Amino acid sequence: MMQIILYILLVFTLFSAAVVVFADNLVNSVIGLSIFSSSLVVIFLIFQAPDVALTEIVIGSGITTGLFIVTIDKTGGRR
Amino acid sequence: MKDLYSKVIIIIFAILLAITLINIGQSAEMVDYKISNYYIRQGVEDTGSINLVTAILFDYRAFDTLGEATVIFIAASIISLLTKRSTSSIVYNNFSPLVYQNISFIVPFLYIFGFYLIFYGHLSPGGGFTGGVVLATIFVLLTITFGVRRTREREVLKIKSLLENIGMAGFIFIGLVGVLLGYNFLANGQAGLYLGEPGKLISAGTIPGLNLMTGIKVGASLSIIFNCLVREVK
Repeated sequence: MMQIILYILLVFTLFSAAVVVFADNLVNSVIGLSIFSSSLVVIFLIFQAPDVALTEIVIGSGITTGLFIVTIDKTGGRR
Repeated sequence: MKDLYSKVIIIIFAILLAITLINIGQSAEMVDYKISNYYIRQGVEDTGSINLVTAILFDYRAFDTLGEATVIFIAASIISLLTKRSTSSIVYNNFSPLVYQNISFIVPFLYIFGFYLIFYGHLSPGGGFTGGVVLATIFVLLTITFGVRRTREREVLKIKSLLENIGMAGFIFIGLVGVLLGYNFLANGQAGLYLGEPGKLISAGTIPGLNLMTGIKVGASLSIIFNCLVREVK
């Protein structure tokens, strides 16, 4: 059962990484990055690495999203 | 056309990365596990910290952590140098009252969570970096929902840069304790410091102090970066 969840999550992570690269809008890219981090967190937890999971959820989907959104807003990248 | 080229290059690099990772995975049995086995066997005895990740980050490899903290320090300095300081107002949005109520309700719990991660870094998952980023996230949340009062902006920035400097200097002073005792910089267990009983809150020698300093430093730096970025020049 855990194996199936892991494979689904891996495919989903790959899919969200593709969304980050190929999205037309930069804001959509950043949201894709946040989703990518969130699914990566669950993968880290399945591999029993809670330290890395905590760091990833706080930095990857927390502060990075805020900083990127503000920067994109300032530099006019929002089309 | 240019767009197509970049996408083709991305796909080529992705395929190369996938091939590399598959090769690394197949050669996993060739890896030498001597050092990691030593850490797992001797880690608690050497450092007094139950959480081995923290033991490696803040004891065996504490100098690397000092380097990472310096990188964040430099990033915060350069961003506050580059952003204009003259006429500034702060982004401000109007949300529904529900958002304000929920954020006000959640903030004390986030403070407790951040300080828990810092102070219990040597006992449970977490540590200085993660706790500091949680503390910075509180500031980001408050700024986005409530805005920063413009009159107090300068004082807040001064307090934050003071905290950042305290964190940076404190880390180095705690490291110098080992030198004063006649051992290496950032020496902990091997300098004969009292390690305490593993599993208690006050144990593991200098690791809780280093955690606290790193947490203060990272939290202050990241909130300075956000504060500088969020300014709006009219």
